[in-house]
Amino acid sequence: MKKTILIIQREYLTRIRKKTFIIGTILLPVLYIAMIFGTGYISNKTKQDLKVGLIDQSGYFTQTLVAQANVADTANKLVLINSTESEFSKVYDSLGYNGYIVIPQNINWKGKLETLSLKTNKTYGMGVTAPITSKLNNIWDEVKNDSLGIDMAKQQIMRSSRLKLKLSNEKNKDADSGIATVIGYVCGFLMYLILLLYGSQVMMGVTEEKTNRIAEVMVSSVKPFQLMLGKIVGIGMVALTQFLIWIACIFIIYNIGRVTGNSEGMMADTLGKIQQVFSSVNIYIVAGCFMFYLLAGFFFYSSLYAAIGSAINEDMREAQSLSFPITMLIIFSIFLLGPTIQNPSSPVAVWASIIPFSSPIVMMARIPFGVPNTVPFWQLGLSMALLVAGFIFTTWFAGKIYRTGILMYGKKPSWKEMIKWAFRK
Amino acid sequence: MNILEVRDLRKYFATQKAVDGISMSIEQGSIFGLLGPNGAGKTTLLRMITGIFYQDSGDIIFNGRKFEPEQDVAQIGYMPEERGLYKKMKIGEQALYLAQLKGLSKSDATAKIKAWFTRLEMDSWWNKKVEDLSKGMSQKLQFVTTVLHEPKLIILDEPFSGLDPVNANLIKDEIFRLAKNGSTIIFSTHRMEQVEEICDHIVLVNKGNKILDGTVSQVKNDFKENVFLIQAQTVAEHLATHLFEVVEHRPDQLLIRLTEGTSSNDVLQYFINKQVMVHGFREKLPSLNEIFIKLVETTPTARQFQNV
Repeated sequence: MKKTILIIQREYLTRIRKKTFIIGTILLPVLYIAMIFGTGYISNKTKQDLKVGLIDQSGYFTQTLVAQANVADTANKLVLINSTESEFSKVYDSLGYNGYIVIPQNINWKGKLETLSLKTNKTYGMGVTAPITSKLNNIWDEVKNDSLGIDMAKQQIMRSSRLKLKLSNEKNKDADSGIATVIGYVCGFLMYLILLLYGSQVMMGVTEEKTNRIAEVMVSSVKPFQLMLGKIVGIGMVALTQFLIWIACIFIIYNIGRVTGNSEGMMADTLGKIQQVFSSVNIYIVAGCFMFYLLAGFFFYSSLYAAIGSAINEDMREAQSLSFPITMLIIFSIFLLGPTIQNPSSPVAVWASIIPFSSPIVMMARIPFGVPNTVPFWQLGLSMALLVAGFIFTTWFAGKIYRTGILMYGKKPSWKEMIKWAFRK
Repeated sequence: MNILEVRDLRKYFATQKAVDGISMSIEQGSIFGLLGPNGAGKTTLLRMITGIFYQDSGDIIFNGRKFEPEQDVAQIGYMPEERGLYKKMKIGEQALYLAQLKGLSKSDATAKIKAWFTRLEMDSWWNKKVEDLSKGMSQKLQFVTTVLHEPKLIILDEPFSGLDPVNANLIKDEIFRLAKNGSTIIFSTHRMEQVEEICDHIVLVNKGNKILDGTVSQVKNDFKENVFLIQAQTVAEHLATHLFEVVEHRPDQLLIRLTEGTSSNDVLQYFINKQVMVHGFREKLPSLNEIFIKLVETTPTARQFQNV
């Protein structure tokens, strides 16, 4: 035990003192925030605004109606064209139009309508037709209203009298599924990032003894299992330190905001929202469970990564190919995040939150939706118990592989061989 | 007292019988040579003695009791053939770390490290990183970390490889000093001339089996071929006799092999009778190198893979 603590100390101190620790601590939140906001920003910027020519052979689409539609909806511009299709089709491109639509002469608002084509000279993404269709239909609604003799007042009633629905959890009045969704995503993604990043850190850390060829000397003083455990816990503590630094920073920023913030402005707004979050979701349970799943999930996955690290020989490609199945498991859990948040009580979500491989990520996505409400105590308990049993098993298993792998130089083993080591004396 | 006894030790791997029933005893305070060609099973044997591997069968008795790796490693120092230290770690810090892992307290270890560094002129190294050292220097360092915790049993696998004559001599002196102070040293090497210089007792292994076991003088005597070196000026006619056959004839030096039944006195008498002036006369014992090659040559020197 004492030797394991010595190893943990050494691993921890060696890493904390490196410059890369400070860089990583600052870089990760920046990356994370960039990822969340960046993707939203980019998707906004890539919306396409088309200029579409309208050749109306029916006479229904008047200049006034089209102009009105363009004012009401500034995305995509419809322009009434006064030439024939054969003429326009030759020149629309050079005139700066992205495409054109022909409204046939025999279009009949009383009967069946055939599908119109937006003729273009490029293939556009799937999203372009919807906004243009809705713009056309707005005009078409006007046409129908006029033809049917529905006046403004009646039109108003048609438009505004619509039923709306919102979720109201009778058992947990404070619950807000919107907030829970956000927290679910945040927790799930954070867990995913941390497990992936620190898992690979453990894998690389474990190769240190092999690269430095000190494995044999170490193993003549301590048991291989102690060495492996020391490395995993040491690196885990570095992760914990980073995590606590971030929490401390957030806490400080929050408090500064509270003390210095005005009653207006974005700060107050954000703080208000955060207050709301804290009240609608049991923040202590969420935070507590996050800590548990982080630690347990870390041990579960990092011991597997340690086993891989002990088997490889400085070659990055070996590391990648051997760690592929483990990484796939983590990525698979992220795919389940979406369906879980859409329906936190579905069988998929429930089972994925109980099975140890996916439970750290999936359960953390479910918990903001309410404990014991959406997540009954027995599910939470079972999930936790299985995860603990899981990491005890993977640590034992990894220890057996590590014991052999760390002294083996040269041949790159396959998973099959590594499993054989596990059952050797 | 025997500090280590190994009884019928076996270790089989998937492709070969690395150690196939080896037994030996090592007396406390001796310098013990473990010899053998490449692939003989030396490293595997040493790894079992240091607790890195578990034997498939057989016993290891350390200090009179069954070998318990957890406790006993504190009394063993092992310098493997594959040299290595954490490159990016500072030297003093690393020596401290390794010593503590062997059970020394921090203060105790620090004091001992300082003493060793001073004696081996390594004082200025304390805050340098291992990667700043040359190969010879890092081997000196590794030697220090091996013996720092004053182990009863010190195992050195090719300790002189890569050392220049000055440093090699330094280490050799340290080995003698440690043995005199009561430590037992197991010394594994291919360099037979070093074995003759340093070791008391030797064991030769080949293909997982022990094929030689005895003190250096015993072994040499066992393999003696009755060859004598005579410093004298001789000519061909002096050599026609049934007493001996000529191995090598030089104008002022003669190497002969006595025939069965002839004693050295008979030969001396013969030359005296012939009026030959004998300046020197001694038995030429075979070198360990020759014995090694002779014993090992009959079997293929390279390990073949077997089905176990």
